[in-house]
Amino acid sequence: MAGPLKPLVTGRTLPPAKPLEHWADDAVFDPKAATRLTPKQERYYLASQWQLMWWKLKRHRLAVISLFFLLAAYASILIAEMIAPYALDARNTDYLYAPPQSVHLMHEGRFLGPFVYPYKVSLDLTQLKWVYEGDLTRPQPIRFFCAPDDYNGARYRFWGGPELGFHFICPPKDGTLFLMGTDRLGRDVFSRIAYGARISLTVGLVGIILSFALGIVIGGIAGYYGGFIDNAVQRVIEIIRSFPTLPLLMALSAALPVTWSPILVFLGVTMILALLDWPGLARAVRSKFLSLREEDFVQAAQLMGARPSRIIARHLLPSFASHLIASASLSIPAMILGETALSFLGLGLRPPITSWGVLLNEAQNFSAVALYPWIMFPMLPVFLVVLAFQFLGDGLRDAADPYK
Amino acid sequence: MFGYVVQRLFVMIPTLLVISALVFIIINLPPGDFATAMLQELESQGGSGAQKATEIRALYGLDRPLIEQYFHWLGGMMVGDFGFSFEHEAPVTAVVGERMGLTLLINFISILFIYLVSFPIGVYSAVRQYSAGDYAFSFLGLVGYATPNFMLAIIMLYVLNEAFGISIGGLMDPAFRDQPMSWDKFVSIMQHSVVPVVVIGTAGTAAMIRRLRANLLDELHKQYVVTAKAKGLPPGRALRKYPLRMALNPFIADIGNLLPDVVSSSVIVSVVLGLETVGPTLLRALETQDTYLAGSFLMFLALLTVIGMLISDLALAALDPRIRLGGKAVK
Amino acid sequence: MIALRTVVAALALMAAALHTAQASDREAPMLAALVAEGKLPPVEERLPALPKLADFGPEQTLGDYGGTLTMLMARARDTRQMTVYSYARLVKYNRDLELVPDILERVEVLEGGREFVLHLRPGHRWSDGEPFTADDFRYWWEDVAQNRELSPAGVPTELLVDDALPEVLFPDPVTVIYRWQAPNPRFLPALAEATPLYIFMPGHYMHLFHARYTKPEELAARIKQTGSRNWAQMHNNMGRARDADNPDLPTLEPWMVTNRPPADRFVFERNPYFHRVDAQGRQLPYIDRVIFDITQSGLIAGKTAAGEVDLQGRYLRFDEVTLLKSSEKKHGYSTLLWRIAKGAHLALYPNLTVDDPVWRTLLRDVRFRRALSLAVNRYELNRVIYFGLAIEGQNTMLPGSPLYDLERRNRWSKFDLAEANRLLDEIGMTERDSRGFRLMADGRPLEIIVETAGGTEEADVLSLISDSWAQAGVKLFIKPLSLDVLRNRIFGGRTVMSIGSGLENGLATPDFVPSEIAPVDQNQYQWAKWGQFYQTKGASGEAPDTPEGMLLMDLYDAWFASGDRQERTDVWQAMLDLHADQVFSIGLVAGVYQPIAVRDGLANIPQDGIWNWSPGAHFGLYGMDRFYFTDPVRRGLAVRPGNGG
Repeated sequence: MAGPLKPLVTGRTLPPAKPLEHWADDAVFDPKAATRLTPKQERYYLASQWQLMWWKLKRHRLAVISLFFLLAAYASILIAEMIAPYALDARNTDYLYAPPQSVHLMHEGRFLGPFVYPYKVSLDLTQLKWVYEGDLTRPQPIRFFCAPDDYNGARYRFWGGPELGFHFICPPKDGTLFLMGTDRLGRDVFSRIAYGARISLTVGLVGIILSFALGIVIGGIAGYYGGFIDNAVQRVIEIIRSFPTLPLLMALSAALPVTWSPILVFLGVTMILALLDWPGLARAVRSKFLSLREEDFVQAAQLMGARPSRIIARHLLPSFASHLIASASLSIPAMILGETALSFLGLGLRPPITSWGVLLNEAQNFSAVALYPWIMFPMLPVFLVVLAFQFLGDGLRDAADPYK
Repeated sequence: MFGYVVQRLFVMIPTLLVISALVFIIINLPPGDFATAMLQELESQGGSGAQKATEIRALYGLDRPLIEQYFHWLGGMMVGDFGFSFEHEAPVTAVVGERMGLTLLINFISILFIYLVSFPIGVYSAVRQYSAGDYAFSFLGLVGYATPNFMLAIIMLYVLNEAFGISIGGLMDPAFRDQPMSWDKFVSIMQHSVVPVVVIGTAGTAAMIRRLRANLLDELHKQYVVTAKAKGLPPGRALRKYPLRMALNPFIADIGNLLPDVVSSSVIVSVVLGLETVGPTLLRALETQDTYLAGSFLMFLALLTVIGMLISDLALAALDPRIRLGGKAVK
Repeated sequence: MIALRTVVAALALMAAALHTAQASDREAPMLAALVAEGKLPPVEERLPALPKLADFGPEQTLGDYGGTLTMLMARARDTRQMTVYSYARLVKYNRDLELVPDILERVEVLEGGREFVLHLRPGHRWSDGEPFTADDFRYWWEDVAQNRELSPAGVPTELLVDDALPEVLFPDPVTVIYRWQAPNPRFLPALAEATPLYIFMPGHYMHLFHARYTKPEELAARIKQTGSRNWAQMHNNMGRARDADNPDLPTLEPWMVTNRPPADRFVFERNPYFHRVDAQGRQLPYIDRVIFDITQSGLIAGKTAAGEVDLQGRYLRFDEVTLLKSSEKKHGYSTLLWRIAKGAHLALYPNLTVDDPVWRTLLRDVRFRRALSLAVNRYELNRVIYFGLAIEGQNTMLPGSPLYDLERRNRWSKFDLAEANRLLDEIGMTERDSRGFRLMADGRPLEIIVETAGGTEEADVLSLISDSWAQAGVKLFIKPLSLDVLRNRIFGGRTVMSIGSGLENGLATPDFVPSEIAPVDQNQYQWAKWGQFYQTKGASGEAPDTPEGMLLMDLYDAWFASGDRQERTDVWQAMLDLHADQVFSIGLVAGVYQPIAVRDGLANIPQDGIWNWSPGAHFGLYGMDRFYFTDPVRRGLAVRPGNGG
């Protein structure tokens, strides 16, 4: 029987149904939408370990400042000749133990640009000292970006190559610029500090390389193989750590042959410092390896037939590299301080080599503390560099665990 | 526990033996020997230097092979005969005098100083992380570390002398030297200890502050602490009862790391300050290759370090049951 | 009559009272109590019958008893400085540097210097009260000097003339005679040295350690007790009067040590039997006690500046003088400046016996040495390091010596770069390398490595010299070494040039043995091998093979053979002239000042003095026994508060 369907229920008819209000996305349906990453997230997950570290580090303000400071300090090594107003062994016999000259801007109410007042020197024979007064009537403007002519034609060999005469800052014409005073032979303390950075800062670097090599190799082997080798290495480490360092330093320094040139002595000193530093690193490497050894990826590599050296170098080390860097940045200041201590004891570097330690050795007497305190200025760069390394190391260590 | 102690003691012995061998080698490493170092000295006593040198060598057995000299020394130490000092021409035990006792005293006070200073600062820094106080204290601690301690020593000597009239250098007023202990002498020693202890201590404080801070922070971020706080435990108790105790373990255990540094820097500082401790005598003995004296002092210092590390391991074992029961130490 | 008896009795009583009053004045308070108790004989019995009247200098006054003097030293061995400073000798140098008897009452020099008759003072006693007689000389001569075990090197060389022993006689308890076949001009000076030749020993004490006088069991017990290896070592150790390290060893010095090393503090107390008196007949020394505090040498200047000492000279350097002067008022002391009387404070020593043939030829060329000397700017050195207060010139006699000659001092030592360059050109080193330094005959650049065992002073001097030498085309390298390594290298001929102190005695008279200016000691850095040759009698080293070297040896022998003072003067002048002409050592500056810190109120220390080891014995020349404290409080405090005793 055709015809409209009769509702089963007699009587009323339902009104025609209105569609429910609904909203639908007319875009094409993408089944992977939930798991897709935003660009920011993608960068985060795809970033290499190093990038993650850098990002985390950037948040640690102090570490970043320290990093730039250290980069500047190391860069200054390259251009020490340009930074120092005076040459390394330049002596000025008229100004012995001269106090620092302060830089002024205003002279008698007028702005003159940076200048210094020259000294008036006299010799007090009853007190047996040189007396310095500032001659406040003759301001002498400091010169910047000087050429050789400003120095009466004096030139220096730039890293054994071209002869240059450029300086960033130099003394006024016929005047002196002793920003940190002079020492007993009339040498500018500031310039000597600038040149001293070369030795003091590189001691740490060279020493680190050796210390790392030893620490990683020995610690790695101990951690990877475990068992007897591990025990033996641990004992060796313990012995070295219990050994009083001073006599070891003394005896090793005394054993350096007499005929060695200063460069070789320098290398010898750094090697000695490195020999005392590697146990710390070896222990850290060892314990890390002991725990990482059990990881799946190591087992997988072993099953695939990789040699132990490859496993250590290619797989274990990189996961540990961040910690190594943090460790390095804390070992370097220890080496710098070690070099200053050795030079102070007269065991390491001696004049005519100039390092901060050698400079401090010359300041290590009561005359310096009581009468000529500016001789102790080399403490400042040591202090700042060590501090900078510490902050940087802290920042790196925090950054080394980026997933925290 | 007992087994652990015995095991550690047992391990100590070969360590000390190896150290003694190394010490002996190190002392004899520089070319020449005591006779050559004292050549000018001997010549002033008349006769040609070379002849005197041969006599001295024969007298003290310096012309025997090194191995024989070593075993002679080692054997002597076993029975308490520490050998003969060539420079002082007296047995080593006579030269030592008060020195070892004072060395122990200074090292002990320095370590105490380090702990007393770094503990509150470390806790504060962890609890109030990234606050101004945290930065300020960390900075202060680092200042001590970053300043070369021999310069600090001499500056402090001068300042204290100008300000308080404390005599320069030495561990006591000269009038008390070689005198029996008395109250006045003790006071004088305490006064003069300020400079060495501060100088030695400030270097170690920075590291300890950092360690305690790091360890405590690790603990404070763990789940159980959050739970405790959420459950309403007062913050003081939440800090003291669990996390602090956990963080203390590595803190105390770190004597092992601290002691070698304190001992060796105390030697350097004592040389600078002219203290009546082992340091200056040791330095002189090393310069003149006064073998038995230098060797005995070095063994003493090494023993100090090794025993310190043993104590810290034992303390750690006492605090951490996992170690006692044979697990590996948590570092 | 009763009145007379009373008067006589009263007078006698008064005389006795006066006498005792005088006697007790003459007793040092420290000893007065012991004398009163009868533990010590009164001073008249303690002094020898003819005590020595101490030669007070023009500025020295009579003093008062009492007080403790503190000095700083750096090593326990420095107790020997007490013997040096006390300077009680058989014969000694007086202020005019003439030899005068001191412990001896008089000396007769007979037969042209071959025979010496030494007269002791009757009643002279050791510090323990035992008599000091010729027997003590006999003990030394027969039982020590000629005993093979005690003196394996034999009798001291100063007592040998042509390798022959003297004839030694002891005619009576106060006379000793030494007699040789030929004159021995070294005998008396050796007895007057700062570290003297001892020809006597307290036999009554040393017996205990001598195998000949003590039973073997007792000897063995003593050997064990002192920790010695054998009796010879024990005897020598216990009897070293020079070292002042044995409190039981009787001595003739004004102070005797009261404690043994090792210690950090040495206390010396007055010797009750000391043989010198002042013009009022009071027994010296004035000061009761001397204390040596042992401390680090680097701290001594600081401690002196902080006023912790009463008298200090040793271990103070000129470069610390500003510090010392600056704290004078505040801490109550003054800083005197005494001239160091060396021929040159520092001198360069070209090694004429170096192995390297090219260097040997070059260094032996007198023009080279003269050129190097001319190229040193001594004025600058003087000004920079010594405030211009030193005397520039060659390494030769100083003003104050009868052999002084201004022209000789200035020869070849005026700064003259033009002449220096001319001489170097004349030698033939006209070619230069890229840095501007001359080339030697074999093409090597003229780089002189100067080896030094000194400290910052030598390093500073050398860096100043290197600048001026560079202008003459000579490069100077500094090589710091330890002293024994340096000496070995010099003796072995490996060192080209070294730096050291100049002539020890810059105030010599013709009567002094000219041993410093002749190649007779291997410690002379400019010709160590020649000196070695002489000392070992040809066994090692090399014979002098230049005309000048041989001439010096001839002159040296001539001095010994010379009969009178004029001949000796001629020999000295000839030798000094040769040195000045040949520039065997390049003297730099001389007469550098030694700072002496003196507590305010410590009297009898001359304002201007010389600080010299030989002759002079540092403070010894000025009689430390005559120093005294003017402040009664200082004198009364025989014991410092806080001092345990």
